[in-house]
Amino acid sequence: MNINKSNPLLLHPLNKWMKKKKWSWFPHQIETFHYVRTGSDVVVFAPTGAGKTLTGFINPIDDLIKLKKFKGLHTLYISPLKSLANDIVRNLEKPIKELDLNISFQVRTGDTTPYIKQKQKQKPPNILITTPESLALLNSYENAKEFFHNLKYIIIDEIHTFLDNKRADLLSLNIERLQTFSPNLQRIGLSATLKNKQDAKKWLCRKKPKIVSYENSVLPKIKILESKERIPWSGHMATYSINEIYKEIMKSKLTIIFVNTRAQAEYMFKNLWLINKKKLKIAVHHGSLEKNLRLKVENNLSKGLVDCVVATSSLELGLDYGDVEKIIQVGAPKGINRLLQRVGRSNHNLNTPSKAILVPTNRFEFIEAKAAIEEIKKNNLDKIDLKEGSFDVVAQHIFATACAGQFNINDLYKEIIKAYPYKKLKLNDFKQLINLIQDGGYVLKNYDQFKRIFQLRENKNIYKLVNKRETRKYRMNVGTIIENPMLKIKLGTKTLGNIEEVFIQNLSQGDSFIFAGQVLEFQSMKNNLVQVKRSKSLISKIPSYSGGRMPLSTNLANSVRALLAKSNMWDLYPEQITQWLKRQKNISKIPKKDEYLVEQFPRKKNFYTVIYTFAGWHANQTLGFLLLRGFKEFNYKPLGFVANDYAIVLWSLKEAKEIKTILNLGLLDKHLDNYLEETSIVKRLFRDNAIISCLIERRLPGMEKTGKQVLFSSDLIYTVLKKNEPDHILLKSSYEDAKKNMIDYDRLREILKKIDKKIIFKKLTSISPLAVPIILEINRENLSKKETDEYILEDLENEILKEANVLSIN
Amino acid sequence: MFYQLINFGNEEFHAYPDKSLYWKRLNTLIVSDLHIGKSISYAKNKQFLPPYDTKEILNKIFVSLDKIKPSNLIIVGDLLHDVFSTLSLKDQDHKNLSQYMKNTDFIWIKGNHDENIQIEGFKNLTNYKIDKFLFTHIPIKTSLFQICGHYHPKVKISHRGKTIFKTCFVHNEKIFILPSFGILTGGLDIHSKQISDVLDKNNLSIYPVGQDKVYKL
Repeated sequence: MNINKSNPLLLHPLNKWMKKKKWSWFPHQIETFHYVRTGSDVVVFAPTGAGKTLTGFINPIDDLIKLKKFKGLHTLYISPLKSLANDIVRNLEKPIKELDLNISFQVRTGDTTPYIKQKQKQKPPNILITTPESLALLNSYENAKEFFHNLKYIIIDEIHTFLDNKRADLLSLNIERLQTFSPNLQRIGLSATLKNKQDAKKWLCRKKPKIVSYENSVLPKIKILESKERIPWSGHMATYSINEIYKEIMKSKLTIIFVNTRAQAEYMFKNLWLINKKKLKIAVHHGSLEKNLRLKVENNLSKGLVDCVVATSSLELGLDYGDVEKIIQVGAPKGINRLLQRVGRSNHNLNTPSKAILVPTNRFEFIEAKAAIEEIKKNNLDKIDLKEGSFDVVAQHIFATACAGQFNINDLYKEIIKAYPYKKLKLNDFKQLINLIQDGGYVLKNYDQFKRIFQLRENKNIYKLVNKRETRKYRMNVGTIIENPMLKIKLGTKTLGNIEEVFIQNLSQGDSFIFAGQVLEFQSMKNNLVQVKRSKSLISKIPSYSGGRMPLSTNLANSVRALLAKSNMWDLYPEQITQWLKRQKNISKIPKKDEYLVEQFPRKKNFYTVIYTFAGWHANQTLGFLLLRGFKEFNYKPLGFVANDYAIVLWSLKEAKEIKTILNLGLLDKHLDNYLEETSIVKRLFRDNAIISCLIERRLPGMEKTGKQVLFSSDLIYTVLKKNEPDHILLKSSYEDAKKNMIDYDRLREILKKIDKKIIFKKLTSISPLAVPIILEINRENLSKKETDEYILEDLENEILKEANVLSIN
Repeated sequence: MFYQLINFGNEEFHAYPDKSLYWKRLNTLIVSDLHIGKSISYAKNKQFLPPYDTKEILNKIFVSLDKIKPSNLIIVGDLLHDVFSTLSLKDQDHKNLSQYMKNTDFIWIKGNHDENIQIEGFKNLTNYKIDKFLFTHIPIKTSLFQICGHYHPKVKISHRGKTIFKTCFVHNEKIFILPSFGILTGGLDIHSKQISDVLDKNNLSIYPVGQDKVYKL
């Protein structure tokens, strides 16, 4: 690199260390240093390996050295993961120790011992590395203002992971609180490359906002596995390619195999071991495994002690595993950003390209993999949509504020609406949230004598916590991540990890299942512990986790549609894919990239309607339900539907002749409420809302309540509330959440708005090639929980009656 | 409303999906574990459940009384959740109750939650005996047939790969346990130790409560 004499970083305290390492400063580091020094809030976009962490610390270190023996907290560094926070400390330690700089730094997360936490409060380090939840906790202490009043910088790492969820809402509120405590505070965001950089800037920056961006010119080398085997029509387990995947592992020094769900991880891991003749060291890593097991795998990975790790998104973020040579992505990529993030795990070096192989598990996934490669070549990333902040997070923040001391609601409101997600928060909604924290916020005033916060008599705008005991409750319930009820798995006295309670309930004693790569036999369940022993059984179940489904990004979906329509490309595909598409073209039609193909055909006495929306599973699932309603109205006697990322299929006793009339925006407006009502979506989100807003307490280890009971009682609360006070703020909040997240409301709305002009209708005499994959997925029930329960009881009773009859005849 | 016919102690009982039990011969309605005012007693610990449970439970009782018009109503314990519960009974509720008591005899048996609580115009008893039947909140040692509450029984049903939990009526030869008539009340698996200690597993008859129907397993 050309040494620029005007580079101000040449005078930086770290320059000596950089020189010793024979490293030079990146342009984005120089730029960031300049902007921050002249008072800007900055978001830095750079790929991994481009010294991102250091970029964040350049100004704080410079400032700390200039200030000489600064006492107290100077810089706060927010990391999305606890494990990443520890990694940051290790990276920061090197230059500071080697240069013998007089700067103190420490980490503070949920894993920090109470003793160290206490010491940190009395004598804070100059630099504190922490998580959004720990920051929220710090802000809830009475001395928060003194603790933070000299804070100069806040650095948000991996800011792209914080933009579109409730954690982001929580973080944004707490950043505004810090700004109130220390008006001179400057914000620095560090992000992977993003399409809508402006949105990230809007979310974070207030003072002279600036974007600094460093684009990597070395494109990753990504290809699709060239398989001699037949790619299956349907399915998600890639069993067909297991031998070829194994060969790829053998070719590289260190490989990470990414899959999309925990179930896939267990399955892939088991199948690799079945054919592991060379005794390769293969490990598995996913979020449900016990922390120690995960740490062991991570440790072995960074030391290069394994040959291959099968992982879910648990290994996606941040951590630097220098020796990884190759990434294998099994299953559809689902999004460009996600794929890039995963691919970037290999060759953590800027100038050599990352290497990756994609393994589609079915034919549609082949097209999707191809499309993803095309988009990466064009550097066309996914957009991260900013969302309006959720109400329940504000409620939690109000509680936290009350824990820190009495507060003026007008000041608090003004502070909250400075946070980007809450710019549009209405005063009226805010007041309802105050009431929610005060006494549940019900119209029926039954709890006047039991309030949690109360107005001062002399000033009605000032609220105060009723007693100190409540602060403990807040601290037990802080955060926005609500897991499904989980149980610990014990093999002997050793804990293997956590498993969903629902899965265990469906097991009987003696059943075997695969977990942490082992076949285990279910023995008993006591006090939330699942006791297992090793099993040699060949038939075993694989636990599924309800959070498993990843949404298909709109960007990638559009690209899939465009690619499908490009028939001049088909000859480059494997023979079977080419044949599949050509036959579709002859028998039916291939939709153009802005068209919606609708096929109808008779099959086994029923009529089938297939609609290719490419809208992602969430939107398709919703649309399927709405169409079911529409079909009922037209008396087509619908029997069921199945949705996947690409299409929906409905089957009915009568032919759905008016499909064009039914498919429009009216369908959404008319039946959506009904949909939310009948499926348990809002009810489930209500549970999260009730816990996040601290209306009910979350389950913590050692509490005698099982997860089932918490879920159960939040269901009861929902039902009672819905009936008696349908306008309650928490119901409104749950409904908004449902519209935002679960059903891809906006995406569906966009499609239905224009669909009537874009429908290509094909009446066929039998199933089309394109419809085969989704028809094969028909085996699930699509009844609401309420209906399912009645159905099970009815069916069981009938069976018993039949049995009784048989007995009496005999 | 459909009911499920249950034969217990050689008498005909009707189990209703609102979780009440009707004894035909004596024109007597039986309910248990209403836990009136559960929400208000939670509120003192700052858990602010919707304060509509008392209103809903009373409405449910009144609807049932209007329809069946029994001569007696037996409450097998835990009518109230705790001492704070009476706070949730408004003047109008008291008036309505007195009105219904003109035509129906209310027999309130003490439960573990409400043994030390008094409501004006109500007498509460430790247990109550009619013929060979004993009404008591928690079963005791006796040769009589017992009708009880306390446990809020639920049954786990696994069928065709799905598992559901359902509130249920359950009895064996000598002991009958009613489900909770309350709104915000949870439940206990009938195979849990607490229940199997009193209700031995032999000859159990289980009646899960569905939406509009009580089933028989």
